[in-house]
Amino acid sequence: MAAQLVSKSERAYIQASLQATPPLRGDGRGLLDFRTVLLETGVAPLANGSAKLNIGKMPHEGGGGTEVLAATKLEVEDVESGDGVDGGRVVCSVSWCAIRSIQLEPIVQLTKDSSPSAYPHLSSNALDELQYDLTVILQQTIGHPSLHPQNLTIIPRKKSWLLNLDAVILADAGNAVDALFMAARAALWDTKVPRTRAVEYQAPEDSQTTRDSASAMDVDNREAIPTASGFDTREMARTAADFELPDYWDEGEVLHGRERWPVCITLNLLPPSHFLDATPPEEASVPLRMHLMYSFASPSTPKLQSMRLLGPGELNSAQIKSYISEGEKYARELFNALESKLREEDVRRNVKARDRFAQR
Amino acid sequence: MAEITIRKRPRTEAVVTQRKFFKKTARGKVIKVLRERYLRDDVACGIHSCGLCAHEADVLLPSSGSLHHASFGDGHFVLPDTNVFLSQMDLMESPLFSPPIILLQTVMEEVRHRSLPLYNRLKALVKSDDKKIWTFYNEYRSETAVIREEGESPNDRNDRGSIRKATAWYNDHISLARPPVRGQARPPLPTVVLLTDDVANRQKGEREGLTCMSVTSVRRYVEGLPESSQLLDLLAAAGSDSIEPTQAVAARQALYPDYLPTATLLAGIKSGQLHQGHFNANAYNYLEGSVSVPAFEKPVLLIGREHMNRAVQGDIVAVEVFDEKDWKAPADEVVDQEATLKNDDADDSEEEGEDDEALAERKVLQTELAKQTSTTKQPTGRVVGIVKRNWRSYVCHIDSTSLTSTNPTSLSQQTVFATPVSRLLPRIRLRTRQAPALIGQKILVTIDRWERTSRYPEGHFVRALGKVQSKEAEQESLLLEFDVPYRPFGKAILDCLPPEGDRWVVPPKSATDPNWRDREDLRDLIICSIDPPGCQDIDDALHARRLPNGNIEAGVHIADVSHFVHPDTPMDHEAAARGTTVYLVDKRIDMLPALLGTNLCSLRPHVERLAFSVIWELSPEAEIVNVRFTKSVIASKSAFTYEEAQIRKDDPKLTDELTESIRLLNDLARKLKAGRMAAGALNLASPEVKIQLDSSESSDPIDVEQKELRETNSLVEEFMLLANISVARQIQETFPQTAVLRRHLPPPKTNFEKLQDILKKRRGMTLDVSSSGALAASLDVCVDPNEPAFNTLVRIMATRCMLSAEYFCSGSVARDTFGHYGLASPIYTHFTSPIRRYADVLAHRQLAAAIGYTPLHASLHSKSHVERVLEVVNKRHRMAQMASRASVEFYVGLALKARSEKETVIEDAFVIRTFRNGLGVFVSRLGIEGLVTFKCEIQFDADNYVITIPSGGQDVSIAVFDKVKVMIEVEQDKNTQRGRVVMSLSHPIDSRGM
Repeated sequence: MAAQLVSKSERAYIQASLQATPPLRGDGRGLLDFRTVLLETGVAPLANGSAKLNIGKMPHEGGGGTEVLAATKLEVEDVESGDGVDGGRVVCSVSWCAIRSIQLEPIVQLTKDSSPSAYPHLSSNALDELQYDLTVILQQTIGHPSLHPQNLTIIPRKKSWLLNLDAVILADAGNAVDALFMAARAALWDTKVPRTRAVEYQAPEDSQTTRDSASAMDVDNREAIPTASGFDTREMARTAADFELPDYWDEGEVLHGRERWPVCITLNLLPPSHFLDATPPEEASVPLRMHLMYSFASPSTPKLQSMRLLGPGELNSAQIKSYISEGEKYARELFNALESKLREEDVRRNVKARDRFAQR
Repeated sequence: MAEITIRKRPRTEAVVTQRKFFKKTARGKVIKVLRERYLRDDVACGIHSCGLCAHEADVLLPSSGSLHHASFGDGHFVLPDTNVFLSQMDLMESPLFSPPIILLQTVMEEVRHRSLPLYNRLKALVKSDDKKIWTFYNEYRSETAVIREEGESPNDRNDRGSIRKATAWYNDHISLARPPVRGQARPPLPTVVLLTDDVANRQKGEREGLTCMSVTSVRRYVEGLPESSQLLDLLAAAGSDSIEPTQAVAARQALYPDYLPTATLLAGIKSGQLHQGHFNANAYNYLEGSVSVPAFEKPVLLIGREHMNRAVQGDIVAVEVFDEKDWKAPADEVVDQEATLKNDDADDSEEEGEDDEALAERKVLQTELAKQTSTTKQPTGRVVGIVKRNWRSYVCHIDSTSLTSTNPTSLSQQTVFATPVSRLLPRIRLRTRQAPALIGQKILVTIDRWERTSRYPEGHFVRALGKVQSKEAEQESLLLEFDVPYRPFGKAILDCLPPEGDRWVVPPKSATDPNWRDREDLRDLIICSIDPPGCQDIDDALHARRLPNGNIEAGVHIADVSHFVHPDTPMDHEAAARGTTVYLVDKRIDMLPALLGTNLCSLRPHVERLAFSVIWELSPEAEIVNVRFTKSVIASKSAFTYEEAQIRKDDPKLTDELTESIRLLNDLARKLKAGRMAAGALNLASPEVKIQLDSSESSDPIDVEQKELRETNSLVEEFMLLANISVARQIQETFPQTAVLRRHLPPPKTNFEKLQDILKKRRGMTLDVSSSGALAASLDVCVDPNEPAFNTLVRIMATRCMLSAEYFCSGSVARDTFGHYGLASPIYTHFTSPIRRYADVLAHRQLAAAIGYTPLHASLHSKSHVERVLEVVNKRHRMAQMASRASVEFYVGLALKARSEKETVIEDAFVIRTFRNGLGVFVSRLGIEGLVTFKCEIQFDADNYVITIPSGGQDVSIAVFDKVKVMIEVEQDKNTQRGRVVMSLSHPIDSRGM
């Protein structure tokens, strides 16, 4: 990711130890080991879905690790006025948190573009670029039509939900893209769409009106009225446009197809070997990195949603192929782990909390 | 010192501590709202001498509850659920229903959510002294707080959690609070009874182990009370269903189309396919109503029962308008509900759909359709749903023919008809056990519901007001009918009065006294007041004197009510809610407590009083040179009646200062009036009569006479107008956003169409309605040399075409609509009667702030607050006028009755309307309107407003504006005991028996 400055000798040292047999990593992990991943959902009560994810937190030091906060917010959009899109849309954005530097630095700097704590060494232009790159990756992957949830429509052709997915990288201690996607997946998993009920006014048929107003009318006349033609487009205007919330207490239903949201696995390539979950010095030491976004509608149907290659190195197609299939294996493991944690979170926040309340 | 600990709330408890919900805004956005909840262990139970809770409040439930219920000998408390308050509020409000009540916060919130009017009644109930109600904040007590289960509806959650859990908790709590003392028998414990009509809730409660008897339906509970027979009548009709499931509802034939669901209605209204408006019933034809909607210039006509679809006068309804080819003209026939439907049976009318009455109605409608000429059509439609019911309690009589048993001792439940006093309302069907006793009484009835299978709305009896024709009952029924608040002032309000009571006087002048701060000392001015005879609340006094420079100083001094009534006090709130003092013939319902109204604020002669003065310097031609406003202290030198002032002015022998000042004022007033008339002010007329009461004790009317207007009336009026206009300018300038003003919108031209047409066709006169000045001029030439009263009649009819004046907040409407049409003034307010009008009090406060006397209270800076207050004041004002008119009418009726016992009453009358089967007439001497109907066939020329009556060979034609003689009788309706004025023609033709 963001190139941390490492010296040539440092880089050579890290590369040499990674390629040694057995390979050695600074923190003693194996090549395919992840650091500890901590996940909590429902952290932002006012959002429709939220999650906070940390990779590599060091409990003894009380901090550290890559930390990402993701939250979704639903907004009603009017399709007719051109604001929204029929069927709803998903908009993602990634930004940095500036809060920590505010706490530390003098107030004078607040007014200026204080450099965020996640990347204190970068200039603001470089930050903007980085932010844009990540936003594009997230938007292109998450906002892809193949993953679009079906329940973002409120009233067909009239109103729809705009799903804003905002992710904040609070700290980057390596492997931010994987963390970002996990957090995004968790927040989307957690997202509840308020239940709505479309409300329409159906004008009664003409025959009804006339029958009511003149009770003496003949039965024959009624039959003479032609039945509605299929070309009669007036019907469309009749289904009026509004909706109501049938249950204002209900958080709503989950997004359709929430198990499809992808996870990202980053392969740090140091031919012939590769490793996962790189720390910043390791990231800076590899010539090539590969982001693979896999979606698992079911564990047996992996689908590669998107792929990115980063770095100056080169790969031939046979290598790419083998990395993709390797990546699928890791992604599946990560997916399963995440899935079970998410379900556990659901239980923790609802059933267990209620039980605890009941047992006071 | 109490220890303060701040406990950080872990997020893991979020499900307990946070309540999240969604809200849809008016703009259609969806917002998520988050509320934090803190649970505590010291929310008190409210039961007296409870060993576990610390109580500080003085209103407490008795420790043993109520011992009067047959089933709960050990005492009990009642814990009603939400639906009990929603449907049985009358029962709860009844003074006979007195068990101690525990009101849960959940219930209160749900009531508020479901119905705001009921919530307000509930709040009033909680505050009232004669009820023992304890509000228990169950959502904040940790033991009774609940959280919502997955997939549980809000209603279930409330029932389960809050209500049943709280009941269980209370019963536990009571037994814990009274531990058995060793060696003694355990004292009997009172029960907390969950009162609910929801069968499911009841069953669940019983299953969850609330003892069987402690969950009960309202009906079963009330049956066990000592006063059950009277209380059972108060039960809303809905309550009887679960007990007596007589017939399957589906089996009955639906008489009315179903309403559309609310959300659909709103969507339809939003998209412009439906129209929303107030439903107005037609007083002459009960099968017709109309709804004024902004989309059409003319109101939307609703013909027939089905199209009116259970709308009741005042409801806000949604109507669907038919295609233009189906538009109709309003009927020109008088259709009386009682005449058409007299055989309807209260018990079984809905059983057959096609009974005689329905046929009769249909016939009426059809004949109308057939006869209809090509008169102007107007939008026609039908009601498809109710946006808001505006049902209240209605004053009714029991229809004696609908009783099955008239045995006075019969206590069997009967279904009877109650006929509302107002002609605009349908009959109401109700069940009562007291029917025989209620015959011949005025009673109050509330409508509960109107099913589509029932021709009439169903209601229940609230209370009896007294015997028909007795003055007390009539008076009270008037006040109720027009929604006039008439309860005596409460303690909190009286506490706002100065503690000295009627010994309060203006303190001696001193620089330090707060009463004298920034006040001008005008005690030496020759000030007097001129009012109607017997006036006790003297709002205004006047003075005038010549200045050395040849100009004249004139002053209007208004009672300084805002000195006593401070914003945001109980007295202020009460005055704002009452809005205006209501004058009935024999009673005055004060807006402010009498101590202020008739004593401390009243500018009585020979005592010092605080005033708010408007002082002009006027040129001898009555042009304003200068105006100033000041708080002052005055001492009125004399209080005249109009008559006394007139006599004094006209007496050439008197040349004292006081008389001179009246003459000066009178001169100025004449010039002011001339100026106003030249500017195009209207001289309007409304029938005003005065009731001569025999003496103050007996208050039997002897005679009715028309009000006499003297020069001095106009004197006072002119100066009040001048003061109001000056004040209006000042406060509008200072507070352009929130000034309290009054306006009279110009009437739409279409309102005059009918009158113009009649005048043209009958008299060849034209009415120019292009401006108020043109109208005034053309009204002046509408004279009939032979008939002086004709001009007044035209003025009355023109007045009725106009809109009514209203208070408004200056920031809420466009600047160019401020004008007062009738007075031809660009700006106007009410300032001169703060004792009897609340808008004036607001104007006083704003003027005081405008001259820098006091800062303006924050509420008067808020546009929405001013708007809200003025909306109430406007409504009260309208109601008060109608109430006084109705009161006069009642006394006219009494006087007529007394007269007709001695002689046949024959009066001159003008024809003001023609119908297919009758005439509308106006008796100017009595100020009443009446209806002459003919049973026989007559010819009706709707285009020329003429009816022709065949009478033994030669036909007699009568047209609008013709002068006729009518015979007036007061007849008591045999069924309803309702006195009503019946008129018949005696000249040019005797129409009795026709």
